[in-house]
Amino acid sequence: MSIESEALASRAFAGRLEAVARPLGWALLLLTGVYAWAVASAPVDSVQGEIQKILYVHPPLAYGAYLGFVVTAVGGALYLRSGSENWDRMAIAGAEVGLLFCTLMMITGPIWARGTWGQWWSWDPRLTVTLLLWFIYLAYRMLRAFGEPGPRTARFAAVYGLVGVLLIPLNYFVIQLFGSRGIHPENLERGSLGDGMGWPFLAGNLVLGLGFAFLFLRRWQLENLRAATDAGEL
Amino acid sequence: MKVLFAVLWKDLVCEWRSRDRIVAMGVFALLVVVIFHFALPSGTGSQIADNAPGLLWVAFVFSALLGLGRSFAQEVENDAISALALAPTERGFVFLGKALANFLLIGAVQAMTATAFALVFDLSLSEVALPLAAVTALGTLGIASVGTLIAAMAVRTRYGEVLMPILLLPTLVPILVGAVEGTQGVLSDGALPLAAVQLLVVVDVTYLIVSFLGFEYVLDE
Repeated sequence: MSIESEALASRAFAGRLEAVARPLGWALLLLTGVYAWAVASAPVDSVQGEIQKILYVHPPLAYGAYLGFVVTAVGGALYLRSGSENWDRMAIAGAEVGLLFCTLMMITGPIWARGTWGQWWSWDPRLTVTLLLWFIYLAYRMLRAFGEPGPRTARFAAVYGLVGVLLIPLNYFVIQLFGSRGIHPENLERGSLGDGMGWPFLAGNLVLGLGFAFLFLRRWQLENLRAATDAGEL
Repeated sequence: MKVLFAVLWKDLVCEWRSRDRIVAMGVFALLVVVIFHFALPSGTGSQIADNAPGLLWVAFVFSALLGLGRSFAQEVENDAISALALAPTERGFVFLGKALANFLLIGAVQAMTATAFALVFDLSLSEVALPLAAVTALGTLGIASVGTLIAAMAVRTRYGEVLMPILLLPTLVPILVGAVEGTQGVLSDGALPLAAVQLLVVVDVTYLIVSFLGFEYVLDE
């Protein structure tokens, strides 16, 4: 493909992402209002008090953090297979939004832990795995930042992203086997939430899930526009 | 396969003639051992003996980092790395040669470090030398494989020396857990703990496969 047609293709793809992201953004805005109302009116936990409301933010952030890395690894793998730069741009977007979600999770988690477990941090398996995931995200980001822009850095990042995604189950398995015992609740079963807590929790998952999609699409779009501009089409 | 041995032989000969890396790593590892003495001053004997597995692996990992970081430096100097990429075979074999050379180099430094550690902290490692060497070899195989892959990336990146440990250390966690657990078992009852060995084998195989395949994309002309 010539540089011009590449620029045009990037621009066209950015346009398609725009077409999805814009209505998504409006829907998100509306839903956020509903979500805020649902959380505010949700019943206060009889044991934990107000702080339990972090429930409506914290687990959905965790899903985003893990999803981000899966997107990064898939994007990297497809890039290595096909050599199409658009997959690399997808990986960049996934990693950055995932890093954001992971960071927010690492902030909300200790606040909740301090309030209910009485300490900011414990070397609980899930905490440890997430902390390592966060470090891998940071390392991935630094690899991108320190490498010269171009196919070589894209390939390095793709390989590192794949190593990183392998590490998630590996670390989990290792820490379950040899680490300390967990104090995180096991996977929630249906009905384990108190009355009136299900809806706000669902709303939280929906809003933060859509929020992830929105930010991810926008970031991917930005990367495509940057590519179009770099290729000389203004 | 021929490429594997050619690369391995070349790396070992280069190292034998210059002795750059082995000397640097050895001196560094000894310094780390000395630092332990000052970092844990009150608990002279027993405290260090209790934590010997962890301390040993700290010394092992940091000296390995030093050596791995330089393992592609000589290839970049005269752009020999492009020639390596042109080797008429899968690049994974170049990786295996490099990784094996690193493995042997790190192993030599580890033997020396462990000896010095045992001498200065009055530990008797000689009775358990064989199982200790086995568990160390398993751990080092993993470090050398993923380390060689990441070193090949870091050497072609700005601030590669700084980036190297940041990229590598998170990937070493499963190896460290298994290696420290295994060393602990060896030091306390002289036998290899099965769970740790299984874990190390799983991690080693995973890392060897991923690095073998990934090296194809890391090396380029």
